[in-house]
Amino acid sequence: MMIETATEPRAASPLRGKRILVAKPGLDGHDAGAKVVALAMRDAGAEVIYTGLRKSPAYIARVAIDEDVDAVGLSILSGSHKELVAETIAALKEEDAGDIALFVGGTIPAEDIDALIEMGVRTVFTADMKLDDVVDAVAKALA
Amino acid sequence: MNARAQMTLDRRALGRALSRAANASVEEILAADAGEAATRARRIGVTGPPGAGKSTLIAALARYRLEHAGRVAIIAVDPSSSKTHGSVLGDRIRMDRLVDDPRVYIRSLASRGASDGLAENLPEILAVLDDFGFDEIILETVGVGQSEFAVRDLVDIELLVMAPGAGDQIQAMKAGIIETADIYVVNKADQPGAARAETELRAILTMTAGSAPVPPIIRVQADTGEKMDELDAAIEDCVRRRKEGDADAVRRGRHRVKGLIVRRLNEVLLDMPVALEGRPIREVYDAVMDTLSQRTGP
Ligand SMILES: Nc1nc2c(ncn2[C@@H]2O[C@H](COP(=O)(O)OP(=O)(O)OP(=O)(O)O)[C@@H](O)[C@H]2O)c(=O)[nH]1
Ligand SMILES: [Mg+2]
Repeated sequence: MMIETATEPRAASPLRGKRILVAKPGLDGHDAGAKVVALAMRDAGAEVIYTGLRKSPAYIARVAIDEDVDAVGLSILSGSHKELVAETIAALKEEDAGDIALFVGGTIPAEDIDALIEMGVRTVFTADMKLDDVVDAVAKALA
Repeated sequence: MNARAQMTLDRRALGRALSRAANASVEEILAADAGEAATRARRIGVTGPPGAGKSTLIAALARYRLEHAGRVAIIAVDPSSSKTHGSVLGDRIRMDRLVDDPRVYIRSLASRGASDGLAENLPEILAVLDDFGFDEIILETVGVGQSEFAVRDLVDIELLVMAPGAGDQIQAMKAGIIETADIYVVNKADQPGAARAETELRAILTMTAGSAPVPPIIRVQADTGEKMDELDAAIEDCVRRRKEGDADAVRRGRHRVKGLIVRRLNEVLLDMPVALEGRPIREVYDAVMDTLSQRTGP
């Protein structure tokens, strides 16, 4: 008698097998939000790497490439999201990693969202979004 | 240093190659393998209980190791949740200051389903680093249960890191559970009990060594780099004394094939049909062995 090996994942872990870098560029010193999101993604099955505070876009790109992540989530509360996103995208592209999905969360004014999407950000998450929705959006984008 | 090490490191290509190796199925590994690479990186294993300071120690040690090696890779394994399969890979945050050094490559791995507490496909992952011309690989694993034995089969030199107050670990050593390391490190020398931990450790290792030399025990403070030069010297001493023998290759080979078989077995067991439940054990056993003996994949 032979036993068939299934290929479907058993558990409801929408991010299973995905590697995600949660990064804090810029000068703001609050990472409670970033950590909550990191843990939510872990609980959704992802392998999550967190950078810690105040990292440069070059540092973030280096880690994203070395760790070969599927996505980078930038948490930005400082107001300088446009510059930081532009620099991060440039740093990724420079090392042939423009295909890594980029998400942004934090205090992003509604009027800036379109500009960020235009630059290449997949989705912008605002503080009022439910964690489950954030996870679902990331899972859908990476599927 | 080998030829590939002379070229600039294509980090994007390496990152992807490591993912491919980590994600490869048993069948893919069997199909791709063409025997051991011509050049091998020296492998240093750093194991020890959670929070002993392994990552901090590796960050400090890497600076010294770069004096002996052109290019150093650090592989840090963290456990995955068996329920969600998720994990937070938190080692590299302690190695921050190495990130802008182009000679260093850090990769975090989740243990995924590995039954030995290491990471799935670790032999394949290490082989990729050989191919990319690394001179040395430092491998961090959490030493709980059997993983410190498993790591022994993968590395050339094993460091066991402990911190003061690790009474349980010392108890475990008394029971003969962890005596496989080449070098013992008592970290957090600044904390009370460090000297005592060293004394206790020395007593046990002296007892178990019998007439053989007692392995080096070095008390360090990883977060300030105190005594890291001594640790580095002890590693170099080990490197000089160590002669690669046939037994090492045999051990590595067995470890690798065992890893693949165990992984395949786990797949088969997970998919065991309910119909087999309650059947005589001989029937179940035969069904599993039958399945195992089939070639997987195309
Ligand atoms: N006092 C003191 N603390 C230290 C020393 N070395 C490391 N630490 C601290 O010990 C804690 C754990 O350090 P890590 O390097 O993350 O330990 P680890 O063994 O890698 O931990 P896991 O990977 O989680 O098992 C951190 O808060 C370090 O700052 C030291 O020499 N003295
Ligand atoms: Mg660690």
